Amino acid sequence: MKYRIVSPRVGTPGEIYEPEVWVNIGVLLSGGFIVPAEDVPQEDDKPAKTKGKTKPLREEN
Amino acid sequence: MASATYLSNPKVTINSVDLQDMCSAATLNVVFEALEDTAFGSTQRTYVSGLGNHELTLTLYMSYAVSETYATLSTLVGTQTTVRVQPTSAVDSATNPGFILTGTYLETLPVLNASLGELSTIDITFQGGAYTVDTTNP
Repeated sequence: MKYRIVSPRVGTPGEIYEPEVWVNIGVLLSGGFIVPAEDVPQEDDKPAKTKGKTKPLREEN
Repeated sequence: MASATYLSNPKVTINSVDLQDMCSAATLNVVFEALEDTAFGSTQRTYVSGLGNHELTLTLYMSYAVSETYATLSTLVGTQTTVRVQPTSAVDSATNPGFILTGTYLETLPVLNASLGELSTIDITFQGGAYTVDTTNP
């Protein structure tokens, strides 16, 4: 999950927030210090599925 | 020659939130409980180190505005968090060490402390946790 900084108390507003492992993210979200960065690709996003299997192209001589 | 230290600009962060401009006093006591190991034949009491029981006390101006004191602390009370204090706001170094309490517990939060004609302040104490000193520039 990626977050964007809202409050200057945790960094530069607008920048992506990369929390240390010990940070309680829930407290920062509920306090309005950061927001989920919806416009930033999330690490847990999976690539879109493709329909069917692609057949190898037959070479024509 | 004796020298004295005058600190007016310590940096204070709680759960990574910078509350330097809301803090007017900070005291970090590094404590290791004394276990007595005095035995027969001793002529004075002696002690060895027991568990660490460190304590950070902060005096903060209270504010209920967005991203201020109350917003920072209201959901931390009764939980463990990480706090960090430094002599100045400069980067970590041997002469500006960052004192860190990891997993320290906030037992009490005075949610209102008001007197007529005065700015509202609160005293909070973080207890326990692992104490480390960071002298390296991140």
